[in-house]
Amino acid sequence: MTDPIVTRDLTKTFGRRRGVVGVDLAVNEGEVFGFLGPNGAGKSTTIRLLLGLYRPTAGAVSVLGHRPVVDGVTVRARIGYLPGELTLHPRLTGREHIDWFTRARGLASNVYRDELVERFGAELDQPARALSKGNRQKIGIVLAFMHRPELLILDEPTSGLDPLLQDEFVRLLRETAAEGRTVFLSSHELDEVQRVADRVAIIRDGRIVVVDSVAALRRSAPRTVEFEFARAVDSAAIAALDGVRVLDDDGHRVRLGLSGPLAPLLRLVAELEPVDMTARAADLDELFLTYYRTDYRTDQPDAEVSA
Amino acid sequence: MTTSAIAPLTSRRAVGPLDVVRLDLRLRRRATIGYAVGLALYALAVVAIYPSFKGDTSIDRLLQSNPKLYAAFGVSGSLTSPVGWLNANVFNNFLPVVTVILAIGYGAWCIAGQDESGTLAPIAVLPISRRGVVVQKVVALAVQLLPTLVLTTICVLVGRTFQLNVGIGNLVAASVACWLLGLVFGALALVVGAASGSRGLAIGVSSAVAAAAYLISSFAASIDWIRPMRLVSPFYWAAGSNPLGDGIQPGAMTALIITAAALVGVAVTAANRADLH
Repeated sequence: MTDPIVTRDLTKTFGRRRGVVGVDLAVNEGEVFGFLGPNGAGKSTTIRLLLGLYRPTAGAVSVLGHRPVVDGVTVRARIGYLPGELTLHPRLTGREHIDWFTRARGLASNVYRDELVERFGAELDQPARALSKGNRQKIGIVLAFMHRPELLILDEPTSGLDPLLQDEFVRLLRETAAEGRTVFLSSHELDEVQRVADRVAIIRDGRIVVVDSVAALRRSAPRTVEFEFARAVDSAAIAALDGVRVLDDDGHRVRLGLSGPLAPLLRLVAELEPVDMTARAADLDELFLTYYRTDYRTDQPDAEVSA
Repeated sequence: MTTSAIAPLTSRRAVGPLDVVRLDLRLRRRATIGYAVGLALYALAVVAIYPSFKGDTSIDRLLQSNPKLYAAFGVSGSLTSPVGWLNANVFNNFLPVVTVILAIGYGAWCIAGQDESGTLAPIAVLPISRRGVVVQKVVALAVQLLPTLVLTTICVLVGRTFQLNVGIGNLVAASVACWLLGLVFGALALVVGAASGSRGLAIGVSSAVAAAAYLISSFAASIDWIRPMRLVSPFYWAAGSNPLGDGIQPGAMTALIITAAALVGVAVTAANRADLH
């Protein structure tokens, strides 16, 4: 059995503009796969390649065992897609949209669809132009999930949803995965992804910089250490240490992200006579900022980001 | 867990052959009705005032005094005969031009315009091929041109009560020619839109080609050096060749059908290669 999503050296350029370069992904059946990256990193480009909206410039894509550009009809019958910014026809109501997609997909039963409408409180009677972003997104959730597809491709799905509905959405994703269906979840927000994803890939500047399980990433994530000093200190010496990054420094209080060994830091700081110290466990946020940062390449010359 | 255990909740594997047609006709309903009613009212007015011009031979003399000027407005030959009157006021200018505007508007919007606004992607990610999308768009184009043409034809038929006698067969031939002309330019806009992804470019290029074709057809009768070019003008095939007076022109009809079909073929290829958003 092939994985629901496999890409090999997938590359897409738009003229001279970069899209994505050499993307290798393998998403397992029944998992929630997080796809993280800052805005403009290439998340939506990758997703459009998976859906067959874009033709690859080079490399290979296989979705549910087919090539999306060649067997698009077969593939897309088994996929649900939720774009981050769903554009609806301004004059049509939510109900008209849902009815049209129900008929176009040839939905065999409306029970699950109506359940989703109920569950997310989708507004059906207003024309789309009168709907808030969150309300449009609810229609989008119904359209993506109503046919119980084997694979869900979600691009920033919870943007615009209030926190209660974000929780409901996370439950929906867990149920979906528990049924053995696969979710490909793209986001620029770590929180959205780390709550549900089994594994994540991080994309930056069109290239995948890391693929790992959330648990493993957490283990390697930097700890946050904070020192307080009675007198103003210069943090330059601390910043020069291996695996230490100064996050915040107001002279008396210095907050550090620590991914290297602890002892050298403690030795150095002890001489500065700190009055207080707090340490927080592994912080994924900090890890992701490390990957997102533009100076990542020079920070970690041996990372797999070079061309 | 095998994939087959999780069958989607659908009863068919692909989007129905008329689903996109229905959606687009619904979205274009207002424009379609607006154009149809507007042109039908215009046609009624034209036939209603015919009796006042019928006996006025001074108009024909005026026309003969400066044929090139009138040719620019699609007027040639006698103005006071039923066929001349209808050609000069409806079939050589307003009806084909409005039909072409309607067709270019939809052709440019249905792929490029919808892609620019973001409403095409939700359809393109359904189980439907690009060719299926294009073919359904062409069917929607063909259908939405009909109300304008049918209503106008009916209103012109009413003209028989105003002494405006034209053969029904010729009238239908002229309307069908107009319909095919609309398909040609709608398909051209679709091609440019699918190839460029730009609705503005599709409208611009198609309108420019249509304007050139219109002028060639209009001036073919009065300017010698333009006359040979009439053979490449779809406007000439559809209107300038005078189907209203001379009946159906198999050669001209065939040229329109072949051109439209070829453009649809190119549109499918362009859509297959297009990156949609």
